[in-house]
Amino acid sequence: MSEHNHHEHHVSSAGQLWAIGIALTLLTILTVGLSYVEIPAPFDVVVALTVAFGKAFLVCAFFMNLYWDTKFNTMLLIGAFAFFILMVAVTLLDTLYRNDVVPSF
Amino acid sequence: MSNHSQAHPAHLQHHFVDSDQQFDAAKMGMWVFIVNEILFFGGLFCAYIVFRAWYPDLFTQAATELNTVWGAVNTLVLIGSSLTVAMAIRSAQKNQIKGLQINLLITIALACIFLLIKYFEYSHKLHIGIWPGAELYTYEGIDHPLAHVFFSIYYVMTGIHAIHIIVGIGLMIWIYIRAKKNEFGSEYYTPVEMVGLYWHLVDVIWIFLFPLLYLIE
Repeated sequence: MSEHNHHEHHVSSAGQLWAIGIALTLLTILTVGLSYVEIPAPFDVVVALTVAFGKAFLVCAFFMNLYWDTKFNTMLLIGAFAFFILMVAVTLLDTLYRNDVVPSF
Repeated sequence: MSNHSQAHPAHLQHHFVDSDQQFDAAKMGMWVFIVNEILFFGGLFCAYIVFRAWYPDLFTQAATELNTVWGAVNTLVLIGSSLTVAMAIRSAQKNQIKGLQINLLITIALACIFLLIKYFEYSHKLHIGIWPGAELYTYEGIDHPLAHVFFSIYYVMTGIHAIHIIVGIGLMIWIYIRAKKNEFGSEYYTPVEMVGLYWHLVDVIWIFLFPLLYLIE
């Protein structure tokens, strides 16, 4: 392989990977602990999802290597999420404003 | 092709300029597949959101039947397996083929533990009459006329996730066999990296399923 056009792939150190694994474990314990705390209605979901997004960020950035990767792959991930939000938003515009929910559902 | 010259390694397909271009193309293809997977599970999450918006009480009542401890244990099992997959890729990058094999075996074992716990959860529910669908559902313990709807969502979401785990086990057995044949090393480990990306995706989906199904009582 010619050296001048060879870019090195990122190699995470074992310590780095273990740190992410431990952080994910601690966040899991945190979210289970928070589920036993009485948080008023919409905010319990907000808190649980915030922790979940934090964990998903750690996995995507440092286990799936997006942090060191080409920005295009990050764009694909964000694009997928944006279209998911669009799908949910358009669906809720229907289902939240029905006079009668379909009875058998 | 058994041409092992410096200019043209055996793994390099003729339509790529060099190994780096081939690796980056494969990885971008994998990310496009992950986009497809996110939107595929997205449809299921969309159903979850619609029904939870319609019947918030149903979800908080029915979720009490799900065992938080086993859900949390399974979350930690999957996080551990994500760590070992990342370590497997690191081993391949550093030419440590033994380490690659050992990390793959630990990952396969953790995936089997996940499925075993899921099997016990499913069989307990089916035993007490919590089946998906209104006709099959006979459990009396939840005071809500639409309790079966929650469990239909639960079975479909966790079931399709479990199918992904089974596929992942198959992929890792395939990678393990190829690693045993000494096909991977620092110069070529693309399939290890791709299976790793798939496995992390399965982990990320569970990271969202766990709080949304188990932690809402």
